[in-house]
Amino acid sequence: MKAVRNIRLCTKDCMCLYVCPTGATDTENGQIDASKCLDACRACVDACPEHAISKVPFNYPPQQAKKDNVLKALRVLLDSKLKQEQALDNIIKTSASPAQKQLAKALKMSTRLMAEDLLRESGYMLPQGAPAREFLQGLLDKEQEEGFPKEAVEQGLKLL
Amino acid sequence: MSIYVCMVCGFDYDEAAGEPGSGIAPGTKWEDVPEDWVCPICGADKSMFTRQGGEEQKPAAPAPEPKKEAKAINTNYKLQAVMASNLACGSKKQYREELSGFMSQVADFFEARSTPQGDLDDVLDLLAQDSATGYAQAFEVARKEKDRGSQRALTWGEKVSAIQATLIKRFNKDGDAALSGNDIFVCDACGFIFVGQEAPEICPVCKVPRFKFNKISKEASA
Ligand code: SF4
Ligand code: SF4
Repeated sequence: MKAVRNIRLCTKDCMCLYVCPTGATDTENGQIDASKCLDACRACVDACPEHAISKVPFNYPPQQAKKDNVLKALRVLLDSKLKQEQALDNIIKTSASPAQKQLAKALKMSTRLMAEDLLRESGYMLPQGAPAREFLQGLLDKEQEEGFPKEAVEQGLKLL
Repeated sequence: MSIYVCMVCGFDYDEAAGEPGSGIAPGTKWEDVPEDWVCPICGADKSMFTRQGGEEQKPAAPAPEPKKEAKAINTNYKLQAVMASNLACGSKKQYREELSGFMSQVADFFEARSTPQGDLDDVLDLLAQDSATGYAQAFEVARKEKDRGSQRALTWGEKVSAIQATLIKRFNKDGDAALSGNDIFVCDACGFIFVGQEAPEICPVCKVPRFKFNKISKEASA
């Protein structure tokens, strides 16, 4: 398990810095340095007066397998949400009315959240899960257009 | 006197009590509540209410005639953009910022290639289709397979989609006045949309607290 800090709760000035045996809590970016955190230690979790730190697993169990018929039904909805987003993109790009643009932006954000949720329930809950890996590997195996961030995909796959 | 329940947030409209807060006097029959009245909590319109103790859940809406012929739309780029943006979010949740950054780069690449295509009527047609068939069919298989997670996503999605459709219809009818200079708030967890001065204290659909709402302000007119 590694320690993580909820920045919303942290007051950024106190106990975890003193109690950590490895200095993992003392960073500039607000987060705890996972590479220095000791698996069995929880000194900072107990010392934090704001309950801002918890320990999370290094590795998660795989997501429960999904049934094919469920995947198919979710896919129908997902396709519809994708088309809706593209229509909203068009309004955001071309509409002359600020109010209509504002509405389209809100609708797009909302539609994206629903689309992502459908994907998560379709097996893409964890970036380190097999479907996500296959997706990324698939991108590398295909011929891609100019500007494709190949390195980001490769680095991402390595980090998974 | 009957009670009508909002399917989105669970608000009760009690005919005996009316809803003085939105100008409905005590004793007003449901039929006499104006058609453009919306739920004071979540903004759902009257079609989203059912009578308490009524024999069936929701009258199965007949599949509506789409306003337009469905066009073939290439959603490939958009799909890959959403795949990657979802992985970026998932990485963030695990406090893996570096990984999240890589996934965002991938999402941006595909997002920039996706073709904007369509208008509000297209969105409305698709939402009507989702509501008439998409959600019903997905619910049926998810229940059969006892897929708890999918049922949860479908419950939220169906409600949020209904709110989206209500908002678009209101906008089509009233134009800019439908927003009347308000901000729009989008729940970061489920996508619920609220128009007003301030986000609701808790999301009426998924129950997360106010700070989880994103604010979309009106753009300065060009
Ligand atoms: S759990 Fe222990 S090692 Fe890890 S950051 Fe906290 S105090 Fe440091
Ligand atoms: S002890 Fe808690 S509140 Fe204090 S700096 Fe550490 S995480 Fe933040």
